Amino acid sequence: MRVLLVEDEPADVELALRALRQAGFEASADIAQTREEFTNLVRKNSYDVILADYKLPNWNGMESLDVLRAEGLDCPVILLTGALGELTAVECIKQGASDYVLKDQLARLPESVRRAIREKKLREDHRRSLDELARSNRDLEQFAYVASHDLQEPLRMVATYTQLLAERYQGRLDENADKYIHYAVDGALRMQKLVQDLLAFSRVGRQGLDLQSTDSDAVLQLALTNLQAAIQESGAVIEHIQLPVVIADSSQLAQVFQNLIGNAIKFRGSEPLRIRVSAEAKGKEWVFSVGDNGIGIAAEHADSVFVLFRRLHTRTEYPGNGIGLSICKKIVERHGGRIWVESEPGHGSTFRFTLPLERNAREGYGHTNENS
Amino acid sequence: MKIPEILMVDDNSADVDLTSEVLAQSKAHFHVNAVNDGVEAISFLRRQGKYDKAPVPDLVVLDLNLPRKDGCEVLQNIKADPALAKIPVVIFTTSQANSDITRSYQLGANCYLRKPGNLPEFVAVVQSMAEFWLGFASLPQREKR
Repeated sequence: MRVLLVEDEPADVELALRALRQAGFEASADIAQTREEFTNLVRKNSYDVILADYKLPNWNGMESLDVLRAEGLDCPVILLTGALGELTAVECIKQGASDYVLKDQLARLPESVRRAIREKKLREDHRRSLDELARSNRDLEQFAYVASHDLQEPLRMVATYTQLLAERYQGRLDENADKYIHYAVDGALRMQKLVQDLLAFSRVGRQGLDLQSTDSDAVLQLALTNLQAAIQESGAVIEHIQLPVVIADSSQLAQVFQNLIGNAIKFRGSEPLRIRVSAEAKGKEWVFSVGDNGIGIAAEHADSVFVLFRRLHTRTEYPGNGIGLSICKKIVERHGGRIWVESEPGHGSTFRFTLPLERNAREGYGHTNENS
Repeated sequence: MKIPEILMVDDNSADVDLTSEVLAQSKAHFHVNAVNDGVEAISFLRRQGKYDKAPVPDLVVLDLNLPRKDGCEVLQNIKADPALAKIPVVIFTTSQANSDITRSYQLGANCYLRKPGNLPEFVAVVQSMAEFWLGFASLPQREKR
């Protein structure tokens, strides 16, 4: 283990190293007595931990934290000190020190070092997974961009010209030709819809999240207005309690209601359709429920319905590309919530999602650049 | 009455053909002239080089993504030239980007239309465009040049 000591007292250096070695650390140490020495050493070498005296004649050991920050280095700093008021100690931790150890309690040092190193590793792992997540999100957005600009264009040619073929030559070739052209047109149009849906999905990630205090009751009304035609056509009866004011992006929340209620209408059973929307506060979150008496979902599909492009029925039974619930999931998770379904086949489904009571959504989560 | 002249600036010959085809099917008669890049478009409009006998178009249908000189630049050139500025320019492109739409109108485009992805809509858009700009809309009188 490589240690950097910020210390001017040789005896104290010796005591600290001895404490570490006694605890089984094979510690090799460099010593910095001034800011310049410290800066040069951290630039040149990589240390597992820095032990800094709080008060040195030439500079304040706390400044080592500033240097590390300026150099963009993440190295745990433990302050070693003769006496330190509680307030100063708190201030040190706030400034980024991992811990502080009083010089007359050096027996505590090894455990403190172990913990600091462990925490650093956790920080690194966390950062790495976030980087990976951000990268895979960027890849997906890049793909959507390519899909929008490079796939749509040739697809448009295929769709319009096969349609023109069908229009001009319908019945003038043989029966098979008519059928083949029909398949080609159908395939092109379906692919267009897929590409557009994929874009809609990726757009959720590209847009900023405009979190505001939002009356979810008004948002539900908006979703119901957008669904008016489908509601009338299906004869659905929609009941809802007065929904709360929440912290949310209103247009994205409207999309969630719209997709869930739209699905309830689409997957209705033979009974007259009843949809019930409610919300209740539980712990630190609101739990919203959209329940119906439709066909329901078998338990083994309860998770997979949220997967992109996953469908449980053929297109002739129920139209759609399997994008709506993926969009709901993405929106809810960006708000820091969860979404799931409870259902008994034949007896309806209840989709539930949560929104945090307080503003702690993962704002900007996996979100790279709005203008990209 | 003279047959209205349309200048279509588009490097996608499939779109030029389809547009011409749709216009040929409509009741009114139109004459479609096509060039496939921005530099050619300006030469046509200014009757330079091989275009010295080119007609003055009543309507320019302009794509944004063009080789050599892009659609926005062509639009800027047209609107900055007193002899050309009064010709209505319809942007006809695949881009749905808000930035492209805003920029086009800021540069003086008279209308922005997105190329639809299927035939029925394509026919509807092209026919309404021609009907509106070359039928209902009153346009400045064509001058002899």
